[in-house]
Amino acid sequence: MLKLVIEKELRDILTSTKFTVSFGACAALILLAFFMGAAGYKADVARYDAARRENLKQMEGLTDWIMVRNNRIFLPPRPLASLVAGVSNDIGRTTEVHGRGELPQDDTRYGEEPVFAMFRFLDLEFIFQTVLSLFAILFAYDAISGEKERGTMRLSFANPLPRHTFLAGKLIGSFIALAVPLLVPILIGCAALSLLGVPLSADEWARLALIVAAGILYFGAFLTIGIAVSAMTARSSNAFLALLVFWIFAVLILPRSAILIAGRAIDVPSVDDINAKKFRYSEQLFTEDRLKMSGFTPAKTADMRKMVEEFQMFMGQIADERQKKMDEFSTRLNEERANRQAVQSAAALGIARVSPSASFSLAAATLAGTSVSMKDRYLEAAQGYQQTFGKFILDKTGMNPGGGMVFRMRTGDAEKPKPIDTHELPAFVFTPPVLADVLPPALTDLALLVLYIMVFFAVAHAAFRRYDLR
Amino acid sequence: MAERPMLEAEGLTKRYEDGVLALDHISFAVQKGEVYAMLGGNGAGKTTAINLFLNFIEPTEGEARIDGIVTHRDPLKAKEKVAFVSENVMLYPNFTAMQNLDYFTRLSGRPAPPGSAYREALSRVGLQAEAHGKKLKGFSKGMRQKCGIAIAIMKNAPAILLDEPTSGLDPQAGFEFIGLLKSLRDEGKAILMSTHDIFRAKEVADVVGIMNRGRLVMQRPSRDLAGLDMEKLYMQHIAGHGGLAA
Repeated sequence: MLKLVIEKELRDILTSTKFTVSFGACAALILLAFFMGAAGYKADVARYDAARRENLKQMEGLTDWIMVRNNRIFLPPRPLASLVAGVSNDIGRTTEVHGRGELPQDDTRYGEEPVFAMFRFLDLEFIFQTVLSLFAILFAYDAISGEKERGTMRLSFANPLPRHTFLAGKLIGSFIALAVPLLVPILIGCAALSLLGVPLSADEWARLALIVAAGILYFGAFLTIGIAVSAMTARSSNAFLALLVFWIFAVLILPRSAILIAGRAIDVPSVDDINAKKFRYSEQLFTEDRLKMSGFTPAKTADMRKMVEEFQMFMGQIADERQKKMDEFSTRLNEERANRQAVQSAAALGIARVSPSASFSLAAATLAGTSVSMKDRYLEAAQGYQQTFGKFILDKTGMNPGGGMVFRMRTGDAEKPKPIDTHELPAFVFTPPVLADVLPPALTDLALLVLYIMVFFAVAHAAFRRYDLR
Repeated sequence: MAERPMLEAEGLTKRYEDGVLALDHISFAVQKGEVYAMLGGNGAGKTTAINLFLNFIEPTEGEARIDGIVTHRDPLKAKEKVAFVSENVMLYPNFTAMQNLDYFTRLSGRPAPPGSAYREALSRVGLQAEAHGKKLKGFSKGMRQKCGIAIAIMKNAPAILLDEPTSGLDPQAGFEFIGLLKSLRDEGKAILMSTHDIFRAKEVADVVGIMNRGRLVMQRPSRDLAGLDMEKLYMQHIAGHGGLAA
């Protein structure tokens, strides 16, 4: 009998005009998300290649590595970040590396194209989170109450049909009828990625499959809550209204409120506060060093070259000491802020996860490698590169980069120096997370989505047991 | 030994949560091959009685039994033995008449019969052949009512519950319906029909019961009503005159 109810539900949905219209709209949006993702990725790759070339070009002609002052590294574009943007558009993609000191992240996508910050991008996450959750509600709100209003419920239950069978048949039938057709535009979109020359590794394909699976689970959660609310109301208009309110809370209000609540509960010093402290400390160190500088007396005043070298060494030493102190101070402040921020983030995400919408967003962004940890991962790679770059400059010049003044003296009879070979510059390698890295954290949210489906089904079951069939 | 009634109400009482007494200790029985017409105005309790037989609601007191099965104790088993046609048959509008018939027939627990059986049932209730494959969304009330009766026929249950089945039907359709009802009775079905229609009730019923404010105020075999002015009798009982007679 369950099979029969499922078949009926499939036929009822698939032959309806409502399905044709809404599915057409959803399919078009899904395909658009894939095409825009592919186009965006290719544009990002072109921009990334051009920026790297430009970085090397501005070093061409320099005759000493110590003259390299603004070596920049770039966050390489990833195909999955174009499909599930996460925080990728909010973090700086370019970092100037001096060999030591802080690593500012500049050139965010939204900074470059602020109009997108207003309306965000049409990516897969948005389609699932916003459009498909509404699509689920559109078909679930009258699943039970609509049968009552149309009068088909009385006739159905005049037969030996157990309530739980009817409910399970409704849920499974609706899920198959709506979720399986959605896979068609998704598969076409995946095929289009290959045809449009977007290279996805096997690992990325697996992660994309899991993102889609998370989306389907999220869709299932909304379908189940829709059926549950429909089983709690006698009129489908009331069910629709209640579900709309639920949707607004779950998708729009709760995730944002969670951040506000956590922000109120756990105080994190602002970046401006931290920078102000760093600035004050830096000023203090400079004041101390100026005293040292004024007390500098060269030992060998007869030889100008040696005198300059001695001064250069002295300046290098105090710069190194100052930078060391500054680094220690900055690290301590940054760590304190990072620790508090981690506590605040954990609290915010914990509260937000009460909403299936937040669970889905977190699962999708984690699987795509564009979650909040993306920034830390990039910063970590940049810091690693900074050390490599600093060592490279030290090896090449015998001096630590980035500090003090550099004097180079040339006499007219000296051989003209050769330009540096920019190919020797160590390459920046950013290793994006792989499935093994992202699966464990994503599993929490995937499990939560399954839990939501189970809880909502239990609610639907309890409500339908008492449902007035007349 | 007397045969067990196919449909039986014994002290059947229903008081809703808001305190309204919809049904007050009614008792009646419908034998195989018998039509029981339950007459009464709006709010008399006719539909409540049918809802109790279908276990859509549970009785406050008493029992409704179908072939001896107490409906609120074993509703699924009881529903295997009863077919139901409501006042306004509503089916799935995106399905054809045949698809609706197929769904509800299989829902009754019967294995799917060949398509010709559905066509025969639809033809028997007077639905034109060209309408068999059409979607229900364009059907009139009369056509839907015919589909509902075809569903009841296909279920082939020994008992049939009809809730105001002729309401809104044109005279021709009403006449055809009565003919069909008689043929089902002749097949041995026990039929309980609630209706406002005094004259059709007298025409087809073997037993007529009159309900007023949740009570069965009159119950007589229709042969005893021959020659009586049914309308007058009905009005007398609705107004509180006349006694309960079995």
